[in-house]
Amino acid sequence: MSIFLLLFIDIATAYSSHSSSADTAKHTNNWAVLVCTSRFWFNYRHMANTLSLYRTVKRLGIPDERIILMLADDMACNARNKYPAQVFNNENHRLNLYGDNVEVDYRGYEVTVENFLRVLTGRHETAVPRSKRLLSDEGSHILLYMTGHGGDEFLKFQDSEELQSHDLADAVKQMKEKRRFKELLIMVDTCQAATLFNQLHSPGVLAIGSSMKGENSYSHHLDSDVGVSVVDRFTFYTLAFFERLNMYANASLSSLFTSYDPKTMMSTAYYRTDLYQRRLDEVPVTNFFGSVMETIHTDSAYRATPRKMSNRAGISMAVEKTAQDDDRRTLIDSDVQDPTSHTMTKDQNCPFTRTMNTFFEKVERIEHPDSLVNYGLVLMLPLLMVSVWLSS
Amino acid sequence: MASTTTISSLNLFLRWWRNFRVKEMELSFTQGRWNYERWGGFDTMSSNNAKPPGVELWAVFDVPKEQVDASWKNLTHTLSGIFCASINFLESSSMYSAPDWSFRQASGSLRYGMLPREAVCTENLTPWLKLLPCRDKAGISSLMDRPSIYTSLYYSQRLHLTSIASDLEGLNSGIVLEQTLTVVLHPSSQRTGLTHFSQSYLQPSWSLSSIFGRKVNGRCVLAKSSKVYLQLERGLVSQLKKSENYGADYIASEGYDGEANFELSVNPDRVLKEEHSRNGISSSLLYEFSVDKYSNSKPFDLGLTWKFPVIWSCQQAPLHASRFLMGSGNERGAIAILLKSTDLNDSSLVANSAMDGCELRVNIFQVVPWYIRVYYHSLQLFVDDQLKAVGAFVEKIHVMPSKDKISPGMMEMVLKLPCGVKSVALTLDFDKGFLHIDEYPPDANQGFDIPSAAIGFP
Repeated sequence: MSIFLLLFIDIATAYSSHSSSADTAKHTNNWAVLVCTSRFWFNYRHMANTLSLYRTVKRLGIPDERIILMLADDMACNARNKYPAQVFNNENHRLNLYGDNVEVDYRGYEVTVENFLRVLTGRHETAVPRSKRLLSDEGSHILLYMTGHGGDEFLKFQDSEELQSHDLADAVKQMKEKRRFKELLIMVDTCQAATLFNQLHSPGVLAIGSSMKGENSYSHHLDSDVGVSVVDRFTFYTLAFFERLNMYANASLSSLFTSYDPKTMMSTAYYRTDLYQRRLDEVPVTNFFGSVMETIHTDSAYRATPRKMSNRAGISMAVEKTAQDDDRRTLIDSDVQDPTSHTMTKDQNCPFTRTMNTFFEKVERIEHPDSLVNYGLVLMLPLLMVSVWLSS
Repeated sequence: MASTTTISSLNLFLRWWRNFRVKEMELSFTQGRWNYERWGGFDTMSSNNAKPPGVELWAVFDVPKEQVDASWKNLTHTLSGIFCASINFLESSSMYSAPDWSFRQASGSLRYGMLPREAVCTENLTPWLKLLPCRDKAGISSLMDRPSIYTSLYYSQRLHLTSIASDLEGLNSGIVLEQTLTVVLHPSSQRTGLTHFSQSYLQPSWSLSSIFGRKVNGRCVLAKSSKVYLQLERGLVSQLKKSENYGADYIASEGYDGEANFELSVNPDRVLKEEHSRNGISSSLLYEFSVDKYSNSKPFDLGLTWKFPVIWSCQQAPLHASRFLMGSGNERGAIAILLKSTDLNDSSLVANSAMDGCELRVNIFQVVPWYIRVYYHSLQLFVDDQLKAVGAFVEKIHVMPSKDKISPGMMEMVLKLPCGVKSVALTLDFDKGFLHIDEYPPDANQGFDIPSAAIGFP
């Protein structure tokens, strides 16, 4: 019975320390999810917005395989496009956003609320290829950029569906619980964008919208050759800010947020920072819009790690498994585990893992684990009999 | 323009092969419709490269029959990831069919699917180019300037994979990957105004740099050979010969090279002549240019300038096929396939059709989505505008009615027609199915696209 008692005490202590352990993972990688939700030619600017951001994050160092690009319609090769295979966000036509190397992951009819939520939460059919998945982890900073037509607490997808603020908040919460991100920046360029963040309550989320409730977000200018507006104001000024930066720039998020001028934008940019712990003037924009990693110097490329340590990093969610079962699994896990990542994953385990770890430590102190398990099984018998007797 | 590459060690595709066990596969992305009247319909170029608009995928699997559908599903998802297209929509059973014999002999392991409204753009071409050893950085593929390619009248990129198993252990097995890009472009001189005289067209002068805006700076160093071919079709050659000898005595010109009519900016390395030239009929000419000897300082820019205006049109297929809808309203209608004989100027075909007992075989393969509920019993056949019994002309027919929300309808048939036939029309009645609101596409205002029918003359 002493073992069970130990277990319960440990669970209690683990829960109390949970809130601090989840945030200590190191920022190791960057992802971007860029979504254009509008169909039809007259929404050309939404696709140009998204492609501009795509170009920016690529320029600042996020590779294509870490960008999920969703475009609801084909503007570049649209029959109404006078410039085939080209998309411009400025009437000077200096920059073709649709260069030779665009990787569109979801396009056309595939851009649905369902697929969007699947990407965020990572719940895909088994056949879905890796290039269409958001394979982020607890060290990821994710930029989620959305543009389209929105309203009070919703964003329209494809003229046929809506993403509501509750859906978004639920998806983000699921992501948080599945530890799919460390920090998340949600950037939305729609009318009444701020309302989309109302239901968010997961820590580590920073949100910025182009307009407050009751405000419209306007397009910037019309290109008379293309025949439609080519960019929205909020995105235009965001890009103007980023065009001055390169990969090594130190500009902070607060300098980005203060760069929005309500007069030129004709709407008030809204940012929600209450869920975010760090001070904005200390966070460089490249934390989200680029992929700038801290370099950790190690003496040798392949450092030998003790087996027990890597075991601990590898175990996950092993409450109902027995000790013998776990030994076999950790063998497999330690092969996969990157030795360098061990240092950062050491203290970010979930309560269950911690419980198991302390449990194992205690088991290891006892000389004969096998006899101990047998002893535990024998203890189970009277419990089983009592429960059978109770139910009958 | 076609380039063929044989690669047996591309890691990606080898991994693929093991996973999917595909015996043969073809994927094509096409934008625009092949214009049979203007670009010909009878030569190998058009019959091999004319593809239906949108995405077409077929694959023959080397797995037990009950696993074919699962393999197909995985294949569509993988291809959709590689080629940045919604090919994964073909995974649902209502989107693909399993033709028995009209398309290709495959005894149940073939799957065929089509997305008629799939957009085709840069993001589809780039992964295709990445399969080439030098991508679009060197060799002929450096001509692929996206804006000029996508201004084309017709664009079709094709990927054909065949696995070869030479011995039983599969030791010597390999994959043949064939990539074809067909583009129909209008030289800029013609853009200002089309000049045509009753179905014949004034042949424009052109050069590679005027069409693509780029030149070829030498070959890709990894390529075994890098060649450009310029073909003068049989009809054009004979016409040029006639005009050359106009007013003079007819001399059997053995060494005809066409130089009197046009000028090539680059001298060909070889001139090939079609072998099987029959009496009185000219053979087509093939000019071969090797890109090997060109470099950055001396780029390859082939150009053709006509010395005097030449009017000529391509050889037509014996029958011109078109398909259209009849009826009005939202309830029912009829689908018609019309085959019209083209006015044959070509002496060889006229001679053939004049013969008695001559027969023309026509293969028809049509897949219809389930919400077009076709009544196959209502098949009517009109030959030369007269209603005829279906059995008199149909040699073989196979019909698979659609199941609502489960599988599409499919019709395969072989028609046997007398050569002198002027027109043949097939009609089928259908009801429009009732769709749930979720089943409409977000742009239902555009209507629904029915996949193209394939009509062949074996």
